[in-house]
Amino acid sequence: MDEQFDFKTRYRNILLIVLGACFFISLGIILIAKPGASRIWANVLLNNQYFLGLSLGAGFFLAIHRLALSGWHTLIQRIPDAMTTFIPVAFILMLLIYFGMHHLYIWTDNTLADAVIEGKKGWLNIPFFFTRIVLYFIGWIAFSWLMRQNYSSLMTSSDIKYYNRGRMFAGLFLAFYAITVSASSWDWIMSLDARWYSTLFGWYVLIGMFVTSLAFITLMIWFLKRLGYLKFVRIDHVHDMAIYMFAFSIFWTYQWFAQYELIWYGHLPEETSYYITRVHHFNVIFFINLGVNFLVPFFGLITYNSKRNLNWVALIAAILLVGHWLDYWLMIMPAGAGEKATIGVFEICMTIMYACLFLFIVLKSLSARPLVVKNDPFIKESLNYES
Amino acid sequence: MSDTSYITISFEDEIPLLQAVRKLRENKEIIKDVLSPFPVHGLDEALSMKRTRIPVVGFIFGALGAVLAFGFQAWVFTVSYPLIIGGKPFFSVPTFVPITFEVTVLFAGLSMVAALLIRSRLKPEITFTPLDVRITDDRFVILVDTPDNDASLERVKSILSGIQTVEIK
Repeated sequence: MDEQFDFKTRYRNILLIVLGACFFISLGIILIAKPGASRIWANVLLNNQYFLGLSLGAGFFLAIHRLALSGWHTLIQRIPDAMTTFIPVAFILMLLIYFGMHHLYIWTDNTLADAVIEGKKGWLNIPFFFTRIVLYFIGWIAFSWLMRQNYSSLMTSSDIKYYNRGRMFAGLFLAFYAITVSASSWDWIMSLDARWYSTLFGWYVLIGMFVTSLAFITLMIWFLKRLGYLKFVRIDHVHDMAIYMFAFSIFWTYQWFAQYELIWYGHLPEETSYYITRVHHFNVIFFINLGVNFLVPFFGLITYNSKRNLNWVALIAAILLVGHWLDYWLMIMPAGAGEKATIGVFEICMTIMYACLFLFIVLKSLSARPLVVKNDPFIKESLNYES
Repeated sequence: MSDTSYITISFEDEIPLLQAVRKLRENKEIIKDVLSPFPVHGLDEALSMKRTRIPVVGFIFGALGAVLAFGFQAWVFTVSYPLIIGGKPFFSVPTFVPITFEVTVLFAGLSMVAALLIRSRLKPEITFTPLDVRITDDRFVILVDTPDNDASLERVKSILSGIQTVEIK
């Protein structure tokens, strides 16, 4: 029960070397190939949003299960718990956007005489934009910190009051998260197309975020089990993660379609502009996005046996992680970097760099404490869980 | 009321029931049936029952529903009664999606209910007398397929010693 993940120096070195290599390649590309300021900043924003989404979705995972008195996830809850430690780092990375504001967001241009953007000035102005960033992150960091502290209390003490207190923190996190994730997606992503708006956008981003987190948690289970950890986690737990990914991929598609169809049907110029850019200039990625994030998990995880094969589920999870990166790419790049946006070496290097940083922080935090919260009142249920 | 060729073992709880099922099967006793007021988790595994094929029925009929709904709409809007709606082309896939989705769900759901009723032979005029009315409330029963004589009764009793049973007869 007290097994602890050993973050070996070898893993640290591999991650740091790859991180460093990707950093220097990206820097080289910036200095030599000069990809243009808007492309660089759009990449920073894309990866900030993607990896922040991974940790926020993990917090969401913990909060909904704690609040619903769930028992099955007790054995794997240290993984999302460790994932939330990236949020403070994402805060610093998000503040970097300040230096690229003018390259990304057209609404920062005060000389622009545009009636639509003028009408949004009350919300979209630089001081309020950064005030909001600080507010969002204070809430996320505080509530996720409280939830993490609660887990460490549950490791040392078997007092039920910690569990109940954790439920309160989970409720606070959830309420704050639901509002701020929507609002932050309007701020960071939707306002790239400053003249466009969609009322479903925040919800769509939230679901995509949760799917990526589920996929990452599944991949971590696969990784830890391959190294011989998490012996108590059986195929029944993996089965539930697979059901989750299956269901929420369908839900994601539902959101995607609900947003697309109403805009397509209404055919109003201020609404269709978003899709016209993406369908005309990024046709292939547009349909790959739908295929990878809907058809692959739908047919890949539809049968009972496919959900109970850890390697297969991990493969689908990996495909979903790439798929949702493409989804964010489609939201951010065509608006941020313009019609010439591509997926080149620069994009890939930047993402690998962020991924190494994210993995380093998550694994470091995972190794800090035992892998199983042994005083959780639901531990016995989770040990005997049958899906 | 009970059929004399079976030994019936009653329980008050599902945990001893599962233990007894496992133990009886270890000792090569043939379990005719298990009666319980609600689905017991892990029971089908303990009895090594084959997995249900109802999802296959659901998938086939769901796919059929999708094809029928899509095909019908495509036929209506392009061949039978083409109408210009909002300046869209006659064959516009996004408009067909919601109805295709709904019909898929409808076909899959109804076909699974129908398959369940047909396979378990549940008809309106069906009547049956329960072995023990408490099975519909709070009693769990195992039927062991063995001649009801003293020797086999003793054997079953010795197998189940240590497990909380209500009665063995």
